[in-house]
Amino acid sequence: MKTKKRFLPWKYALPALALIGVIVVFPILYTGYISLTNMNMYHWNDYHLIGFENFQRALTKVDSGFLSALITTIIWTVLNMLIQVALAYFLALGLNAQGLRLARVYKTLLMFPWAMPAYVSILLWRVGMFNTEFGFLNKLLTAMGLERVNFLSRNIPAFLSCMLLNLWMAMPFMIMMMDSALRSVDRSYYESAKLDGAGFWTQNWYVTIPAIKPVLAPAVIMTAFTTFKQFDIVYLLTMQRGSLSGATLQTVITYAHQNAFVSNNYGLSSAVSIIIFLFIIVFSIFTNKGVEET
Amino acid sequence: MKNRKKVKRAGGVILINLIFPIICFVTLIPIFYAVTLSLEGAGGALSSGLSFIPQEPTLENYRAILVEEPFLLWLKNSAILSVGTMIAAMGTAVTAAYAFSRYRFRARKSILRLLLILNAFPQILSMFAIFRLFRTFHLLNSYLGLIIVYAGSMCIFCIWNMKGYFDTIPVEIEEAAQIDGAGGRQILMRIVLPLARPAMIVTAVMVLIYVWNEYLFSTTFMMSESSYTLAGGLYQLQSNDYSRSWPLFSAASVLVSVPILIVFFCIQKYMVSGLTAGGVKG
Repeated sequence: MKTKKRFLPWKYALPALALIGVIVVFPILYTGYISLTNMNMYHWNDYHLIGFENFQRALTKVDSGFLSALITTIIWTVLNMLIQVALAYFLALGLNAQGLRLARVYKTLLMFPWAMPAYVSILLWRVGMFNTEFGFLNKLLTAMGLERVNFLSRNIPAFLSCMLLNLWMAMPFMIMMMDSALRSVDRSYYESAKLDGAGFWTQNWYVTIPAIKPVLAPAVIMTAFTTFKQFDIVYLLTMQRGSLSGATLQTVITYAHQNAFVSNNYGLSSAVSIIIFLFIIVFSIFTNKGVEET
Repeated sequence: MKNRKKVKRAGGVILINLIFPIICFVTLIPIFYAVTLSLEGAGGALSSGLSFIPQEPTLENYRAILVEEPFLLWLKNSAILSVGTMIAAMGTAVTAAYAFSRYRFRARKSILRLLLILNAFPQILSMFAIFRLFRTFHLLNSYLGLIIVYAGSMCIFCIWNMKGYFDTIPVEIEEAAQIDGAGGRQILMRIVLPLARPAMIVTAVMVLIYVWNEYLFSTTFMMSESSYTLAGGLYQLQSNDYSRSWPLFSAASVLVSVPILIVFFCIQKYMVSGLTAGGVKG
């Protein structure tokens, strides 16, 4: 009886753990193995172990492109997060103004970009907004008598275009989290702050921001991870197979993908994947300390 | 003094009511533009007009996408994958989540933590390894292969999501049932699952949305035209010659997005709790 009970949770958990083991854990281990070999297009079957050469190539050779991709990704993450958090904060403050009857309507309308399937949004932006001939932005520029711009052909405009699109897609979630965080702040704090003569900025700095910080931290950390891992936007806007836009923008993830599926450096790509994974593990252990589960 | 404050506040509200409609409108421009184009007759896409009202409104594009393109086939493929994944992921995850919520066994904590880390792993990084394995085992171009891939990652999400909910159900109910002589399986089937129905429905719907919206694995692993999903089909449409297919593409986008929009706004209030329950997600 007692042994039966001890095995019961395992019986319940086994199918799920087997599934995860086969399709999530095993491919990661296999990726680790490939990263130690010279597997590429010419060595599809007759590859052999070469030790840590791929890791060395990714991390120490500047021309491998990994380090510049890493820098791009870090700039991308930091800029996106700063703008997102700041903008969402002010928008949520506006939505929480007392006496604003239409707040629900505005909130619902602002949620649309989040609800849309991501790849549909990105493709719509690519053709409908950024396209040189009939993209909306270029129609707008021509209507104002300005030159057409090829937004995606050079790196910096392409980076900014990707960022604009990322903000469009990610802002609704941030606004919503901000909004619920702001509503959790006790109104009486503001009353006493006002009695002390605090103005708008002092109130925000000393009352609102410290109060919402703990509520907001998990959402911000989570968004930072998704921004870091962002692949779809850069890939679908600038590097679709057969229609490269001209920009050579690379984030770490697009770099790994390109080496696996375009330039067929499977070993190098796997090494990069493992490096990114280690990165993510370190970060998530670091950040999960604060949000520990009981 | 009090009046002046009131006037100031009313002024603020008026200002906000002036700014927010503009923000909302600008935000929705890409969607308006797509809807307009999908209703526009031939040549509309290339005209230089900026209006959001189609000049000659017609449903021709919708007819064309449904009849001339294999849209219904794509829909069928997406539906099979979504439902298959949901059954596989939920079927395995519910009992596992229950075990992790109710039983204290060795390795419980470390497995949960491992699942969290695995969840942070972008599956795209092991895509090549999976691709190579699937090629060896002839699972490319098959529903089964893609369902296993989706189910694996969704299973982790479901376990964390459902465990969070099971934790909120008081154990006393189960203890009472146990005293009345109910066995382990009976308790799970007759008591816990009915109580957890709302959470199960929401989690299942999130799995459906995930598969419906996924394009990378479905375009990489489904290479024959007859096994395209909606994502694969739409991808194909926009990568062809734009000028002809762009209105078709916008009509298809509207058709793909509308069901998701409806579902999203129905379960919106649960989205946040589910997403943040497991800590780091993405």
